[in-house]
Formats: sequence, structure tokens, C-alpha cells
Amino acid sequence: MATLYGWTGKILKVDLTRGETSTLDTADYVPQFVGGMGVAARLAWDMLRPGLDAFDPDNPLFLMVGPLTGTLASGGGRVLVAGIAPQLSPSVFSRSSMGGHWGAELKYAGFDGIVIVGQAEQPVYLWVHDGEAEIRDASDLWGTGTYATTAVLRGRHGPKTRVVGIGQAGERRSRIACLQTETGNAAGQGGFGGLMGSKHLKAVAVRGTGGVAVADPQRLMELCLNASREGAAPTVPGAPGRQWRPQMDPLTQVRARKCGFCATVCQDRLVMGLPGEVEPQPYTAAHQCWGYMTSPRAHTEARAITADYGINGWEISYGLIPWLQMCRQHGLIDTVNGVEIPVPDKEIFNLQDVVQVPGELIVPLLHSIANRDGEYGDIFAEGTCRAAEVLFGGEGLELVDRIYPRRCGETNHWNSHWGTGGSGYWPFWLVPVLQWCTDTRDPASDSTHQYTEHVLRYIPIHGPNRGPLSFEEARHVCQKVYGNSEVCNPEITYEQPETKAIPAVFHHNRGMLVESLVLCDREHTRVFSMLTDDKVADTALMSKLLSAATGIETCEQEADLAGERVYNLLRAIDIRFFGRDREVDWSVAETLTQPAFTDGVALDLEQFAPMLDTYYRLRGWNRANGYPTRAKMDELGLADIADALQAEGKLG
Amino acid sequence: MTTGDPGAVTRTTFTKLQRSGVIQVDEKRCLACRECEVACSLYHEQECNPALSRVQIDFNDYVPGFPDIRVCKQCDYPACLYACAARWDEPALKVDPATGARYVDPDLCRGCGDCARACPLTPERPVMTFKKVGRKRVYIKCDLCYDRPEGPVCVAICPGGALTYIPAQERRR
Repeated sequence: MATLYGWTGKILKVDLTRGETSTLDTADYVPQFVGGMGVAARLAWDMLRPGLDAFDPDNPLFLMVGPLTGTLASGGGRVLVAGIAPQLSPSVFSRSSMGGHWGAELKYAGFDGIVIVGQAEQPVYLWVHDGEAEIRDASDLWGTGTYATTAVLRGRHGPKTRVVGIGQAGERRSRIACLQTETGNAAGQGGFGGLMGSKHLKAVAVRGTGGVAVADPQRLMELCLNASREGAAPTVPGAPGRQWRPQMDPLTQVRARKCGFCATVCQDRLVMGLPGEVEPQPYTAAHQCWGYMTSPRAHTEARAITADYGINGWEISYGLIPWLQMCRQHGLIDTVNGVEIPVPDKEIFNLQDVVQVPGELIVPLLHSIANRDGEYGDIFAEGTCRAAEVLFGGEGLELVDRIYPRRCGETNHWNSHWGTGGSGYWPFWLVPVLQWCTDTRDPASDSTHQYTEHVLRYIPIHGPNRGPLSFEEARHVCQKVYGNSEVCNPEITYEQPETKAIPAVFHHNRGMLVESLVLCDREHTRVFSMLTDDKVADTALMSKLLSAATGIETCEQEADLAGERVYNLLRAIDIRFFGRDREVDWSVAETLTQPAFTDGVALDLEQFAPMLDTYYRLRGWNRANGYPTRAKMDELGLADIADALQAEGKLG
Repeated sequence: MTTGDPGAVTRTTFTKLQRSGVIQVDEKRCLACRECEVACSLYHEQECNPALSRVQIDFNDYVPGFPDIRVCKQCDYPACLYACAARWDEPALKVDPATGARYVDPDLCRGCGDCARACPLTPERPVMTFKKVGRKRVYIKCDLCYDRPEGPVCVAICPGGALTYIPAQERRR
């Protein structure tokens, strides 16, 4: 076999029921499926079956990395997590991802991913080191949080051991339990911590001293040294690229931190103490991406506890607590664990209306969820959507529609209908809405971020926001990248549906490429740049990095095609095993008809329908049922997948 | 012998060495991203492998504090180089005439490890390690990327500005 560059060549397969480990050849799945999400999807296609429950031992848990993981490519520290997601309602095959240092360590240990099936009789952890994998007893770790688990495993296997683990929440199969690594990196959405807990798998500890062989070291070096480091938002012309905020605020004991293997500006920071205290606290808490709406002190303490218990804090802060406030406004509940739920005077309409909650409410709430005890802990551990079905005689169920599209279990965000994240303004939020309609998770993870952060912050008019580019410049970029100059035009709404459907498809495909390589969506793909003369970012960067690392020369179009292949494979999985069709897609739009909080504009379903049609047309999907067509599947090299869909009458 | 080579030191002539540049670290600016480790191994070993990096980042986010950046201090009186010269007629440790970097010539390294043991930072904060070339050990240490015209690659990649290259002439006495 020819030497493989980029990939290590082996995927670890672990059967916890039999207590056996084996390996799969990565080369059987790449370059066609790239790695990460693509390979996981291809493997899942053969492993899933209709009616498989998220907590069935046969539900595979994928912890995947890709050809760029552990290389110099910025964002190469991430891990793709996949499986039937317990958090989703109904549970379908979905994905999440996390940063940190674990992913690269897995590559250095010689693996392109881990597929875990079965269920151990007793609690176990997995110890992976330099090509070896052992299933070890974890009864001493069971019942502890992720911080203690990491400390024990580092004591046992060395301080450079990287650990992905679950806390008490995951052990108790909470559907909102996350996989945690380091203090501040978690695969939050999806409830994969519950899936790992259902397998009686406490942690995966990894240590590797090998390297990632790259085909063209010099080219990779040049690409990485010269790659833009503009960060998420435009930098000021004249001072571009390398600016970094102060590293340490002596008053608040906050220092900047990052995921490993990333050279790009982001917001991550580590709180090591709080003002007024001479010595830093004995715990640390990382702050990134989300936060509790409470005092700084409570926020820091609660975040550390959230990470330790292994709970998806996003779901608590932006889903459960707002819903509880709404329920109180409707007279359904007053207190949780004896603590009064604070509510605003006006009726809660969107996340911005929600009031701060005290630490006295948050921390006991987290404790009860992690341990499934107390007044509501057992019910809240199932996530807000499922809790709403059983609590208050179902009277709180309609209220979740504000927060959760299609009551799917993951909160609205970046689509301007609930929060949080940045603000999207009419008509640009139509793009994330389209993505929501067709995705299996909140797309504001890998695909929407690219659009909202790398497009909406540059264009000249975006609601009240003004980007740094002129219309002429923005049009030029959009023409070049999307093949449609009007993508950036705020005057065009429903009448030219392709101005919204094109970026929706483009960034969905790019999102899949990011999840397969595996890189960071806050970094890739860029569309605009303040550092180039024509303001066009190097959109071919991912394909160039892939080419340099693997030695398989891949042009931008081929890389996009790979992303499209992965997206269509995920669509096929959703159709075949979980009954996805146009009706399901449409039901998402139907729950997004309340006026957007940013601009008060409401989605007009009648006018939106042709936009979804356009998305399908660009995708090569049947307009009536949303199934991929034979022609599209053949073009993507997925004929065998198409055959299986056809046999079940599910080919478009 | 290497007479006339300004970097040559023999066991009999411990001449005064020219000073070296150095990589100055500011741990408060370190983000523990470890891009420096990967860049270093990519440049020197043509693979991405922190275990073969000449700069090492130790950190523990669970405990308050800053990352520990371990990189060669490029001593004025390099114990590693003296140890190598004391043992071998043709020492593997040399001084680059342009940067002053104390570096290991891999073709000459016999793998004895005297250099690493002599380093005053060993064993608590090791800045020298070895790689296996077949059955042979070849010691590796920071060479300031002396053959890279733009300077040390770790400095170039560092997103936080934690690493700065200080040329010999600007280094404090």
C-alpha cells in the first residue's frame, strides 16, 4: 500500500459488549469521504437500522478526526462527534464537535477516529496510546465529575494524557449531557454524553508520541504561515491580522486560552479567580461561546460546575431557564428547588427579554439535573422539549415553540428568532432558516457561523450594522464566490430565492468539509477578507491544505463536491432511517413564523415555499418530497446509496 | 579537522564562543495552542509531531496559572556544547556563525546524550530530546531555525505574540 499522508490509516473500533477492539482501514473510505463526518456517515450507513433508539447499545458513538487534525492547519485540534443524538426529539443521526487537544493527540496515537458500539457490563474507560487500545475498569471513576476523572487519568497515564469524558449527567443518561475535554471544550449539542454513559464508558484517555506525516511539508508550512488570521470580524485596515487583545486582566484573573492547534483569534478565555480575592480560586472555568445570564461570580462558578458535571450549558441557559421563566409568566410554576424563578415584567418574546437568574437557582438546578434528583431533576435531565411534554399537563409545550424549531430539542440561534449569538437582520436571516429546515442539528455550528460571521459582518448594509466594504466590493466578492452578486443585497428578499439558497447550500457543503477535515467553523470558510486587494478571501484554502497534507491534489471544486457528498449522505441516512422528507423540513419553517427579534419581520410561508424549492433544485433534490435524485447521487459517486434508497422508494 | 570554521570547538580549545540570539518568551501571552510545537517539528522533521519539537508547551487548565514555555536559552557558556566537545574529537554541537545558535549537527551526533545531561535545565525543564534514526539516537535542540532566512518558525506562527526572537547583538549582557 502506498504511504498515506495526512491520515494515519487506522480507525479504532471498540465493541464494549464483547470487550474487543479492532481496526478499520481508513483508506477504504478516503479520499472519497475525506475523514471525520464523512467517514462517520459512511460507516453509520452500514451500522444503523430503522427504529434504533439512541440508547440502544447498537447506536454507534463516533469520535472522529480528519486528515488535517494535528497538523499545522489552524483549527486542527477539533474532534467530530456523531451518533443517534439523544437530545434531539425525535432522536436522529446527528453531530457535534469540540476543540481542545484530544483530537490531535488521537492522531499522534495513530488513529483517524474511534467508533464505539455495545455496552460494557461495568463502567470502563478506554486507554489509547501509540497504536494500542485497552478497555479498562472505571468503577473508581464512576460517579465523579470530568475534572476529577481527568486528574485521576493524568495521574495514572501521565500529565500529557488528553481525556474526553462524561460527568454525572452522562452517567445517568441525561439527554443534555455533553462530552467534556479540558475545562472549556465540549461536544455540547446532541446529548452525546448520555450516549457515552449508556455504554458505561466513562472516558477516553489518549496519549500519542507519533506524528502526522504530511506529503508536502514546505507547502503546508507556507499555507499556514500565510493564512489569514483576521478572526471572526473584520479587522481595522492598516492593523490587520495579528492583533490580539490583552492577554491577562490582573483584576479579574482572566487569561486568554485557545483550543490546541489553532492560530486564529477567538474569544476563549480562562477564569482563574475573581476580583477581591488574593489567591486565585482552586478551580478554573473556561468561557467561550455561551454563558449564564447571571452575575459574573455565579457565572464563573456555574460554568465550572457545568463542565464538571458534563452538562450542555447552552441548553440550560438558552433553553430551559427561559422556558421556566415563560412558564412562570403563564402561571405554571413558581419555584425550582425552592428558589423563586425571576421573571421580567413584560411577556418574554425572545431571549433578550429573559431576566438574569441568581446562582442559587442555577447551581442547585445543575446538581439536580446531573443527579436526576430533587423536584424536577429527573425530568429536566431529558431536555426542555421532553420535559414540556410531561410537565404541567403539557401546558408549557406551546411555549417551547418560541425557543425550539419543530420542538427538536436544540434551541434556535443565529436565525434571529430566539437568540443567541449575533444578530441577523432581514432578509439575511433567511439563509440560516433554510439551513435549519434541512439540517439534522442546529446549523449554527459548522455552516451558519461561516455565513453569519464571515459574510454578515463585512457587507455594507445589514440591518443597522455597517460592514467595512462598499457595495461594489461586496458585489464583486459575492459574484466571485457565490456566482451571484446579489447575495449581499438587502433589498432583495423572496423575489430572487437563489440569493438566499445559494449561500445556504454553499455553506452547508463547506460546513461538511470543515467537519470532515476536521477544522473549525469559526475559521473556515472565509468569504471576505480585509487583507486582499479585491476583498475576496482565499476560499480555496481548505482544499489547498488538504492537498498539501495528503498529497492528493484536490481543487476547490472537488473539495466542495466532497462536502456536498457528505451532506447528501447525511440526508440519505436521515431519509432512510429516520423518515426525513419535505414535510419534516417544512415543519421547521412553520415554527419560525413569529417576527424576528432583530427587525420584527415575520417569515411569510407562502413566499418562503419557492425558496425551499430553490434550495432543493440547487441540491438536486426532488421538490415534492425532498429526496435526492438519482442524477445527483450518481454525480456524487453515491450510486450504492441511491440503490438502497430506491429499493425503499425513497429516491427523488 | 574544521580549522577556520568559527563554530568549531574541540576538546582542547574551549575558545570563547560568539553570543547567540535567543527566543524570548512571555508566558502571559501564551494561549497553549501548541502551534509552535507543530511548526517546529514540521520545519525540522517534515512531520507534524509535538514530541519532536524543540519548543515545548506544558500547561494545565485545571489549575490557575500560565502555560510553561520550554525553549533553549542559547547559553553564553553552553554546557551541552562543552560536554559534547569534551567527549568527541569532532563534536556534533556547533555554533552557527550568523545567529550564534548552538545546534546539533545530526550527521555528527553519536547519540551519547552527554549534551542533554549537561544542560542545566535538565531534568526539570528539558529543552533537549532525541529522535530515533533507525536504531541510532540523534539529539535535537533549538537551532533558532538558523537556516531559515525569516527567523525561527515558532515565532512566526505564534498567534499570541508569546515568542520573540532577540538577535545576539540585542541580547542583554
